[in-house]
Amino acid sequence: MSDNIQAHEPDPVHRVRGVDHAAFPTFDPTATVRFYRDVLKFPVVHSICAAGWGPEKHPDFIHFFFDIGNDDRLAFFYYFGWQPAGDQSAPGDAWARLPHDTPEFFKNSRHIALNVADEDDLLEYRRRLDESEWPVEMQVMHETIESIYTHDPNGYMLEITRQLRPVTPQEDLDAELTIDALCDVASGEDPSMDKLLTRKAELIVARAADWEKENPLWHETEKV
Amino acid sequence: MPRFYVLEVPENEGVIRVAADDPANTVDRVGPYRRVTARGPIVIDRRATGCRHAVWYSAVAGLETSVITQHDKDALRVEAR
Amino acid sequence: MPTTRVGLIVPSTNTTVETEIPRLLSRTGDEFSFHSSRMRMHSVTPEQLRAMNAQRERCVLEIGDTGADVVLYACLVAIMAMGHGHHRDAEFRIAEQLGSGGSDTRVLSSAGALLQGLTDLSARRVALVMPYTQPLARLVVDYIEAEGFEVADWRALDVADNAEVACIPGTTVMEAARRLDLTGVDALVISCCVQMPSLDLVEAAEVEFGIPTLSAATAGAYSILRRLGLPVDVPGAGSLLRRDAAVPVS
Repeated sequence: MSDNIQAHEPDPVHRVRGVDHAAFPTFDPTATVRFYRDVLKFPVVHSICAAGWGPEKHPDFIHFFFDIGNDDRLAFFYYFGWQPAGDQSAPGDAWARLPHDTPEFFKNSRHIALNVADEDDLLEYRRRLDESEWPVEMQVMHETIESIYTHDPNGYMLEITRQLRPVTPQEDLDAELTIDALCDVASGEDPSMDKLLTRKAELIVARAADWEKENPLWHETEKV
Repeated sequence: MPRFYVLEVPENEGVIRVAADDPANTVDRVGPYRRVTARGPIVIDRRATGCRHAVWYSAVAGLETSVITQHDKDALRVEAR
Repeated sequence: MPTTRVGLIVPSTNTTVETEIPRLLSRTGDEFSFHSSRMRMHSVTPEQLRAMNAQRERCVLEIGDTGADVVLYACLVAIMAMGHGHHRDAEFRIAEQLGSGGSDTRVLSSAGALLQGLTDLSARRVALVMPYTQPLARLVVDYIEAEGFEVADWRALDVADNAEVACIPGTTVMEAARRLDLTGVDALVISCCVQMPSLDLVEAAEVEFGIPTLSAATAGAYSILRRLGLPVDVPGAGSLLRRDAAVPVS
């Protein structure tokens, strides 16, 4: 038998495999099931019936899971006898209420967006929602994505989106630059977009030489 | 000298084209970005670019010793800081 | 040493688990308390076993409330009738229920405990005595073989009523064991059932047949001690339960 020692491949740095579950509380499991299982037709894939045995006083609860594609799951907790806190007429959702004058942009800043492959699939989910108690509230198309939006029975905003073209490597690199600039600017005084864009330009200039080495197709000073 | 950067992706094609069409501007490449430089204020007419909202307002990737003095439904104006 | 709380989830007609497990563990010298939850079941038929399994969640919630250190899901045929390897699923689901609620109760099943006992005895060829009807007995044999053991021989006593199983005399069990072909057998399971009493037979059978002998109950007690990290030193109940006993210096 030959000496067949295979070189051990180093473990990749990035090993997580997506969303095991994103969990939220609900006070209306019936409507939640109607929305996700019956309207959107997301399969119910798991449930746990449990009580609160840890150090904190804790009602009996059901933890249930819907498949949202790619083996990722959206999960809910329903606590028996637990009542929502805060002003229920205030903006927000089952998890939290916000001040009455909270602007839309901020309310919308937290949401889940699920991906579909193409226009047909997007329209199919649009149809399912429009025929339900939770019709599509908005449809938006940019150059790069097209999305539909609604709120689930718990007030959680749900977006369903399709990409109009795949993300390019230039965008990954641009994103890294934005993040680096953002961290620099946000930890300083009076962060602003102006400061961020200025910082980003500095980083572009600083890193240009390295890009030239890594990717000779990106020629410097090639006048257009 | 005002100078700004635009990421070279399909959606930004209109901005880059309008910038390049103006003989007062020098447009060259730095890595994956296009760099637009001029001696005086750079003005890009939005309608000429054909850009829609979201793309228009996120077109500028970096500002070098410059400041945006106008960025609305009509135009983008970049001047020396 | 504080009292160790042992949770037992048993078929409602089962009286043997709550008799034999406490008797065994009382011989260790450690303090134990026992807390049961019951699943309604009268006949050991596939239909009743399925109905019984459906009550498991309620029982786990009840046991969780006791803050038990360990829970033994004391069903053997109920698990084995659900398909190969099902004890792992059952143990996982119970552990998940308890864990999701912040409980640190450790989870065992009698089916899993029996397999652990056989493994720790390094047994490969085993023989079984069971009270079941033939079709259920066959399921049990298949289940154990699917776990990598060879079932060399077995006897099934054809008793379907679970209350009757609790009354099967020891002499009947021993007679069945004597009819087994024990050639090359590494371990004898004198009662492959949590309801058929056998505690008084285990040591005697081991001596008579010269083969390590265990029962679902002794395996259950063994697994409880192992899971809790307690010494396994219970006299008079077969060699599996003496694994940590001090060896006398001759």
